Amino acid sequence: MNYDRAELLDRLAAEYVFGTMSARVRRRFQVIQRTLPAAKHAVEAWERRLTPLARSVPPAAPSAAAWDAIDRRTGGQPSRSAAPAFAWLAWLKPVLGVAVGVVATLGLVRLYPSAVVNVDAIVQQRGTLPESYVGLLTDGANNPVVLASSTRHGRTMSIKILRKVDVPPGKVLQLWALPKEGAAFPLGVVPSEGKGAFQLADTSEKLLSSVPRLAISVEDAAAGRGAAPAPYLLSGNCVKLW
Amino acid sequence: MLASADLQQLLARVAQGDRAAFRQLYDATAPSLFGVALRILRHRDRAEEVLQDAFVNAWNRAAGYQAALSQPMTWLTAIVRNRALDELRSGARHSAQSLDEREDAAAPEIEDERADPLGLLEQAADALAIRDCLDAIDGPQRQCLALVYYHGLSHSEVAGHVGSPIGSVKVWLRRGLEKLKRCLGALA
Repeated sequence: MNYDRAELLDRLAAEYVFGTMSARVRRRFQVIQRTLPAAKHAVEAWERRLTPLARSVPPAAPSAAAWDAIDRRTGGQPSRSAAPAFAWLAWLKPVLGVAVGVVATLGLVRLYPSAVVNVDAIVQQRGTLPESYVGLLTDGANNPVVLASSTRHGRTMSIKILRKVDVPPGKVLQLWALPKEGAAFPLGVVPSEGKGAFQLADTSEKLLSSVPRLAISVEDAAAGRGAAPAPYLLSGNCVKLW
Repeated sequence: MLASADLQQLLARVAQGDRAAFRQLYDATAPSLFGVALRILRHRDRAEEVLQDAFVNAWNRAAGYQAALSQPMTWLTAIVRNRALDELRSGARHSAQSLDEREDAAAPEIEDERADPLGLLEQAADALAIRDCLDAIDGPQRQCLALVYYHGLSHSEVAGHVGSPIGSVKVWLRRGLEKLKRCLGALA
């Protein structure tokens, strides 16, 4: 790297950490940090320099709800603060939750038809893609063939077939998760062309957080839990998009 | 606040998925971190959202924390500041608000304890024993630095606040940052 570029990176890193960059430039520089180690290092150096200045900021107590939300979002146990006498009400919670959700959604759709959430809207609003698991499966010649994606806390796996797969009549394409440790487990059946989606047995976060790879095999029928996969036709990395 | 070494131990346990350690880490650091987010966003709900995101992020990234590279509090504060600045700059809901509106809206939320940003910068400089170095930075530059760092003001907001052209503010900030880098260089 030449001196000018190092100097430029240092200045950009300073502006990023200090906070003077606009949203658009911040996002762009975040991408650069992910792809250019020198940019990341420059940012880290500025963080080490400037963060001690934050020590003079008076502390403030967050509400108790903040921890509850963090605990829930990181997979902790739900709060046990409810009195045992009301424990029998627990079964009602999911029912009420769904009912409230349906009513709220209908209300929202009626008031703001354009607000019906889609990924594009989220991207527009947040400027980033939603937190998701994404798998790109390739064939033996390294051609991308299947794109599998699911939002982090969602239960729907979306499939896009990038290149038609020849499946013998009466057979199915079975998608497998290959965890870091332990045996492969089935996720669902994917189409041989076009797009598709299927429901996962649990949230993506639960199923895929320690799954670095996905694979597809040709099976006689959808594989059940504990089934052993046939030889893999396609495979690829499964990454966290956040 | 726990000592840095204690926080490091907690982070190492958090990286192993130790929830009790995560709670201890939260209890020890959340008030300081929330203070930082609240000062930038001036809005309790938004600051709490940022705090939540930051701790979820810390939980997921704890295994990647490198003690040799940064102190735990530096690492955590950087996560919170970055998230708070992203939220502030995204401006989706608040872009139309002027600084005055932001201050008015926030007034009941952070009340009288809100020291002026220059005062905070001077306090920090005293604590870090770099006051002499900071005092050598011109007054307007110091004021701009403090407004950006503690309150997250943009170039144009700073210009409006100090009543100077945006071009001057950009120059002051760039020069001020260079000087501040020299002041803080020994600490990095």
